[in-house]
Amino acid sequence: MIDIWTLVRFLHVLGAVVWVGGQLTITVVLLPPVRRILAVADRAELLRAVGKRFAIVTAALFLPIQVSTGILLAGRHGVTWAALLHPGYGRTLAAKLLLFTVVMIAAILHGIAQAGNRPAAARTAAITALIGSIGVVLLATSLVEA
Amino acid sequence: MTQFVDLAAPSATGRRAGTRGSVFVWANVVVLGWLAVAVGLLAGHDLLGLPAWVALHALLLGAVTNAIVIWSEHFVVALCRVPGPSPRRLALGLSVLNVFVVTALVGVVADVVVLSGAGGAGVTVIATIHTVHLLRTKRAAVLGRFGYLIGFYAAASAALAGGAVLGAGLAAGAGHWYVRLWAAHVHLTLLGWVGLSVLGTLFTLWPTTTGTRITERTVTAARRALPTLGAGLILVTGGVLAAQVWVTAAGLLCYAAGTAIAIVALLPTDTPRGPAAWMLAASTAWLGVAVLLDAGRLIVAGSIDALPDIVTTIMPVLAAGFTAQVLVGALTQLLPVVLGRGPAEHKAIAAVLERGAVPRIVAANVAVPLVALGLPRPVPEIGWAVAAICLASFVTLALRVALPVALRGGLTGQPAGEHSRGTTTGVLVGLIVVVLTVSFATGGRDGTESSTSGDARTIEVVLTGMRVQPDTVEVPAGTRLVLRVTNQEAMPHDLRLDSGERTPRLSRGETALLDVGPVHADRQAWCAVAGHRAAGMTMAIRVHGGHQHTPEDPGNGRESGPGLNLAADPAPGWTPRDATLPPATGTLHKADLRVTEREVEVAPGRRERRWVFNGSAPGPALRGRVGDQFEITLINEAELGHGIDFHAGALAPDQPMRTIAPGERLVYRFTATRAGAWLYHCSTMPMSQHIANGMYGAVIIDPPGLPAVDREYLLVSSQLYLGEPGSDGQVSKIGDGEPDGWTFNGMAAQYDHAPLTAHGNERVRIWVVNAGPGDTTAFHVVGAQFDTVYREGAWLLRPTETAGGAQVLDLAPAQGGFVELTFPEPGHYPFVDHDMRHAENGAHGTFTVTAPQ
Repeated sequence: MIDIWTLVRFLHVLGAVVWVGGQLTITVVLLPPVRRILAVADRAELLRAVGKRFAIVTAALFLPIQVSTGILLAGRHGVTWAALLHPGYGRTLAAKLLLFTVVMIAAILHGIAQAGNRPAAARTAAITALIGSIGVVLLATSLVEA
Repeated sequence: MTQFVDLAAPSATGRRAGTRGSVFVWANVVVLGWLAVAVGLLAGHDLLGLPAWVALHALLLGAVTNAIVIWSEHFVVALCRVPGPSPRRLALGLSVLNVFVVTALVGVVADVVVLSGAGGAGVTVIATIHTVHLLRTKRAAVLGRFGYLIGFYAAASAALAGGAVLGAGLAAGAGHWYVRLWAAHVHLTLLGWVGLSVLGTLFTLWPTTTGTRITERTVTAARRALPTLGAGLILVTGGVLAAQVWVTAAGLLCYAAGTAIAIVALLPTDTPRGPAAWMLAASTAWLGVAVLLDAGRLIVAGSIDALPDIVTTIMPVLAAGFTAQVLVGALTQLLPVVLGRGPAEHKAIAAVLERGAVPRIVAANVAVPLVALGLPRPVPEIGWAVAAICLASFVTLALRVALPVALRGGLTGQPAGEHSRGTTTGVLVGLIVVVLTVSFATGGRDGTESSTSGDARTIEVVLTGMRVQPDTVEVPAGTRLVLRVTNQEAMPHDLRLDSGERTPRLSRGETALLDVGPVHADRQAWCAVAGHRAAGMTMAIRVHGGHQHTPEDPGNGRESGPGLNLAADPAPGWTPRDATLPPATGTLHKADLRVTEREVEVAPGRRERRWVFNGSAPGPALRGRVGDQFEITLINEAELGHGIDFHAGALAPDQPMRTIAPGERLVYRFTATRAGAWLYHCSTMPMSQHIANGMYGAVIIDPPGLPAVDREYLLVSSQLYLGEPGSDGQVSKIGDGEPDGWTFNGMAAQYDHAPLTAHGNERVRIWVVNAGPGDTTAFHVVGAQFDTVYREGAWLLRPTETAGGAQVLDLAPAQGGFVELTFPEPGHYPFVDHDMRHAENGAHGTFTVTAPQ
């Protein structure tokens, strides 16, 4: 049965798919051939362009959709501020939000490092964000169970 | 005289041409494989239901032992300039060693003493051969200044031989000697086998990592350190076995002094360069910390009995801080020499192995206090996870260079410059962040100890003196058993059931609940810490009496004959009890109720003698409306006294409910003043027997304004007690509340053999009265929902705007009511008592719903 809540949940899942899948695609699929084929200068230019576009999509679409649908879903699930500390659903959700925040900070650090032309730091931040995002999905999966 | 150390073996230039080289590379791959297994088990042993012991031994007995054997052999050959064993012999020896290690691990996990004993004995034999071989080499050759190495290695492998004997003994069952043997095993293997090997190697390995020369001073220190360490080890082992605190403490301090000699001699003049040096330095420091901690706490405690407690603290330090780290450090330093051809490849491999080294070293060493300090959960778990992540990332990196060399004989083009730096660090940071948040998410669940229902029995169990007390628990069959397990001694224990459930590992004073669930058969429980079961930590849960809520087992002493076969065919000529309830007619209801004894079908194909009203159990259904008069004549044509009690009427019981003798009759008059689904039953004591033998029925008084429906059925539920009415066997089953089955309308599975019918669009009302004598009824129709529920004179649910539904009509003994429903589509809808023990033993039938008409 498809109702408005199905749509909200769909948007939330879709956002996660795009964000995590996008990172995975760039890291696992795009970067290795780019490194092999392109010269260092071209590579940096391409990666900067890709990074910029991903950042725009994140800030303009992903974050607003994810945060608003997330708040709606939590509200529908009856989550209150106090419930966030209760063991079980609330606590898992709190951990997920915490991890998501860390991921966003890592993503911002990645952008800063990239702009400052510090590739090692940028890479560290990007991989941290990617693995953290996968962790968010893990916690989300356990929320569905709960 | 000083000298740079050339770690490559004399024949190393032709490495890839000869088999020795490839055996050596493969041996290192095996070490990495064991490390990977150790990490996997560290992370997953709880999920797999394996003890933590396995992860520890995969690290120590698997990875570390293999590494020590191959590298000690290598150093002896390379530095002492003696001929090494042939590649074939090396490969054979290593293969046999690994077979024995695997045998020992499998033996302990599968609890097969023969295997664990054989594995331990095998490791002892290999270690002894290794010792003898080393000593012979020492005697035969002119060894030069590195001769001390052989002394270290020989002493170490002698310690392994001793430790393995003790380990095998522990696995086989050590009884009251467990604590002493265990403590000796731990010290001999960790301080002897691993410690001596590492310290001996450090005298040559450390200078290579710092790029300094080996001085005469170092060599002298090495020669001096070995006797000190060896004497300390002998004292520790003897002291532990003889339970002498001061001897043990003196031995530990002696060992610490030996370690100090090594550290002082090797103290670098400037800060270590490179991650390998840092790892070796940190791990040696942890070894010193562990030994001093061991000695200090032992002296403070003043008793050898405190050793298990102490070892619980120092074991993580030795495993995570010392052993794992020294192995990673040594491999970081040594693998490039083994795997690479020429300086360029050495450099490239070293670059791969050192990826993310700084965060790895920091995290691995931060993890040590987390796992060792005995902090509350989930801190140790986080520590172990962090340690596992560090180890796993090294294993991944090392396999990426070692596997291509082992498989293809050389590195596949992977220029170091093309690697995007920061990946390993990112992976580490990401994984650690995820571990922290996940442990936060799953933490704080201390309050989730499963609440126990009323009939559960909680038994206190104490783990002490390598025994489970009590060692035998007897409960009536069907009891839901909960064990409250407390460990009262310093040795950590747990308690594991034969079904796999277990408590966490408990330190001294910790308590955990272990829910055994309903006990229907004899069970076993034991401490799953390796060797403890063999030492006698077992417990038996025995069942006495029959089964509660399950059919009687045939042949357990009760005179009930064979159990029920619900799938059997009904006897020839059987006709089902018509469940259809006709509508009420008239306002005065006169009826005769004749009590007789006759054979009725109580289960498919099973006919037994019953006491019945008008020839059937349940007796006839009576139906009327509020205000109707009932005039019932009870005629006793049976051989015992009987009576009757109509719940539908309110009156003084004295006369109408009296017992009448065989041949007598009485008239029972009442007015139905209130609506409901009422029970009637024999009023003669013991009523449990009279009801259980069929003397019950229903009176339906329609509530005012009850709408007409398309079909009405009446189901009277009851328990089935097989056996001759009033026989000892049946009476004791009734008294214990252990029915052989459950029925609707007097016969188990009756309406499976003659389904009730309805059409798809029809409204069906099902009246249910629970005759008991003892159990509840939870009436449910599978696949359907009730939109109307009426119970005990009240509408609990009526079709309304709120679209509420109901799934069960729950009735205590003697309660009644009805539900209404419309079947959603044609099909076969089972109806059950949703207490599944009842449903699975007869309280089950079927609605066959055909297309709407």
